[in-house]
Amino acid sequence: MKTIRFLLNGKEASIEVEDNETLLCALRERLGITSVKEGCGIGECGTCTVLVDDEPHYSCLTLASKANGRDIKTVEYLSSSGVLHPLQEAFIRSGAVQCGYCTPAMLLSAYSLLLRNANPDAHDIKEAISGNLCRCTGYIQIEEAIKNAAEICKCNGQD
Amino acid sequence: MFIGQDITRVDALDKVLGKAAFAHDLTKNNMLFACVVRSSRPHAVLKRIDVSAARALEGVVKIISHEDIPGENLFGAIKKDQPFLAAGRVRYKGEAILIVVAATEETARRASELVRIEYEDLENISDPFLSIQSPVLIHDGGNLLSHRKVIKGDAAKAFESSDVIVENTYSTTWIDHAYMETEAGLGYLDDRGRMVVASSTQNIHYKMKEISRLLAIPPEEVRVIQATTGGGFGGKLDVTVEGYLALAVWHTKRPVFMRYTREESLLAQTKRHPLYIVYKTGARKDGSLTAVEVNIVGDTGPYNSYGETVCLRAAVHATGPYEVPNVLVNSRMFYTNNPVAGAMRGFGVPQLALAHESQLDEIAGLIGMDPLDIRMKNALKRGSLTATSQVLNHSAGLLETLKAIEPAWRERRKERPGSGFGLGCMYYGIGNTGISNPSSCYLTLTPEGRVEMHSGVCDIGQGSDTVLLQILCDALGMEEMGIDLVRGDTDTSYDAGSTSASRQTYISGMAVCDAAQKLKKYLKEQGYYDGKPLKDICRDAADKGVPIFEGYFDPPTTAPDPETSQGAPYATYAFATHMTEVDVDEVTGVCKAVKVHAAHDVGRAINVSNVKGQIYGGVAMGIGLALMEEFIPGKSESFDNYYLPTSMDMPEVEAMIVEDREPTGPFGAKGVGEPALIPQAAAVVNAIYDATGIRMRQLPCDIERLKLALEKDKENKR
Repeated sequence: MKTIRFLLNGKEASIEVEDNETLLCALRERLGITSVKEGCGIGECGTCTVLVDDEPHYSCLTLASKANGRDIKTVEYLSSSGVLHPLQEAFIRSGAVQCGYCTPAMLLSAYSLLLRNANPDAHDIKEAISGNLCRCTGYIQIEEAIKNAAEICKCNGQD
Repeated sequence: MFIGQDITRVDALDKVLGKAAFAHDLTKNNMLFACVVRSSRPHAVLKRIDVSAARALEGVVKIISHEDIPGENLFGAIKKDQPFLAAGRVRYKGEAILIVVAATEETARRASELVRIEYEDLENISDPFLSIQSPVLIHDGGNLLSHRKVIKGDAAKAFESSDVIVENTYSTTWIDHAYMETEAGLGYLDDRGRMVVASSTQNIHYKMKEISRLLAIPPEEVRVIQATTGGGFGGKLDVTVEGYLALAVWHTKRPVFMRYTREESLLAQTKRHPLYIVYKTGARKDGSLTAVEVNIVGDTGPYNSYGETVCLRAAVHATGPYEVPNVLVNSRMFYTNNPVAGAMRGFGVPQLALAHESQLDEIAGLIGMDPLDIRMKNALKRGSLTATSQVLNHSAGLLETLKAIEPAWRERRKERPGSGFGLGCMYYGIGNTGISNPSSCYLTLTPEGRVEMHSGVCDIGQGSDTVLLQILCDALGMEEMGIDLVRGDTDTSYDAGSTSASRQTYISGMAVCDAAQKLKKYLKEQGYYDGKPLKDICRDAADKGVPIFEGYFDPPTTAPDPETSQGAPYATYAFATHMTEVDVDEVTGVCKAVKVHAAHDVGRAINVSNVKGQIYGGVAMGIGLALMEEFIPGKSESFDNYYLPTSMDMPEVEAMIVEDREPTGPFGAKGVGEPALIPQAAAVVNAIYDATGIRMRQLPCDIERLKLALEKDKENKR
């Protein structure tokens, strides 16, 4: 066991983790953040995506100890100001949510994209979510939502 | 008005916040963890099971075998032929043998690996054609599960007078549902000692009954709750974790959680049926179809699951959505030692669509007719007779879907080498085939002045909760969404039947309409429509003890004739046409779907955004079926070697909604969930032919299969 300290959704967090523990397990089991989902456990489906220093990472393949000193964001960060992020609004409005199991991870991949690229084109959006599988939606309304949210973020000057 | 509007889904907010409690997220104090020990052999006698090492592991609480089952050790939606835990013999690789219950999930899994099982192998019947001949019986009754026939007119005679005949063989493989959330659940005893199981499921009342039989307790002593469910597509219709959880709770008296790993889900859970289809089509020079003769052989694995359903549904849909005066279909489903095949989006119809749509294009090619024209010429329409001689009296919008596609079809241009266009049509009977499949629900009034809708419908992501609320609001003439939804719990709802067969909007929607009529009558008497506030009515009602308002609907169908399947197996049908443009790289064998037009007659789109979502998702699954998905027993172990479409594989999709209203449906609605998938693979293979001149008759047309076909074609031409 060792103690790790990191920023979790903008707040200091400190937990004890096993050497072989994944970040996915630490977030779900030790911190109760069940918005981070396990879909395959081997880095193929992307439902466990979290942001590490604003870059999407598969938390099932990331050792919890590697989070030490890093900035970890889960979907809770997006509405931490008390209002929905434009991406969340757009996901609801565009019908981008069906079963919802991939949704938190999709939102994080999209959020990371908009941080890097405020004017993503259709291909940029497809590429940004290409590591996140969705079996329900065929991705189209998700892509529409991200496009719509990008427009709104630009108008608001929001990240 | 709520019908036809893009009403925001009632579950969407919790899902974007990450707050929705999926089965994987359920937890309780003091809970144990269960996992299943599974067979490593496809067909074997269990000679000896040694659990001593597993039992000795610290933290192991209980190991459960078939001998520990208090009730009946058989389940099955159609026929009770599958054991919860193998009793002396295993019939497929991955079959459940023991349940290990332990203090942690890790301990349970470690202990399960310490169980030593001695097998005596039996002949592995790995193929339905082997199954036909083999003296080895998978079940005492023989290896043939089901044989259904469709006989209409005289096909043999009609072929004699046909101008053109085309005969070919098609085959499809196992497909995994690959819902993002694997099977999971939590079981516990409530304060009164009743058995409660919350799980990822498509049918709570069915599972309640199965648990009751398993434990030999009355159904009232079992409560099943649907957790937020991360996709189903048919794979969560069968009992998955529910039985194991119930047994584990029964023996430990403690809360127990379990979830399948992805590998376990792929290994053990049901798949789409592989079908082998020999298809003969006859037509006249003018393109009108004269006869079809179809022989279908299916592989259901060692247990029925939905094998009989698929056998019959494939048979009655075998002609496709066309007027065919002479039909002879023989559909046979065999037991094998392959994975259990069960319900998956379309129940055999997507496999048949591959065949009838390829055949139609070949006929068109031989007589020099345009593929769209031959479909228009033969399309079922109002007044047509189906293959089972059912008269379509209303809501038969295939022609309208063809017309919706027509401009894009006529204007198509091959702008690149390797580019091709294909059409696929389908029809699909809404609800179960020729049997009663009712839905029921009830409404109450709360003291707070709200209407409460009690629904047993499992929303698995398709959006039925929202759609049923929209239907109720309009049926009551409400201006605001003043309805509370009480859902997915056998304690607080009536049986709505399974979320399957694209039936919930139509059948449960009608049950809601029925209940709404009764409530509306009451509200009218109470002066609601004259301006009396609902709150006052509800308060009065609470004082008087007003009864609940019950709704019920069972679609009118007739049982198929046992010899000919003639009859009216469905109350209504959905229709669709897809047009797909592909790019085939003849050097690498890569086929990419570029653009899809998908026109669907849904009767009435209650929620346009939801309907489009179903169409997009169905197209994606159809692309997977056509181009990349193939479950190979023993090889497809994870998403490392079972490929699913990603965003990069998706074509541009134009969803077109046709509304030929169904008078027996809620506000004219039918269904769209399965129809959205059914014609897509057919459209893709027809487009591949258009691009390359090669007929792909085996799915998927993945890179290897297509490359081989291209090379063979090149050699033949040389």
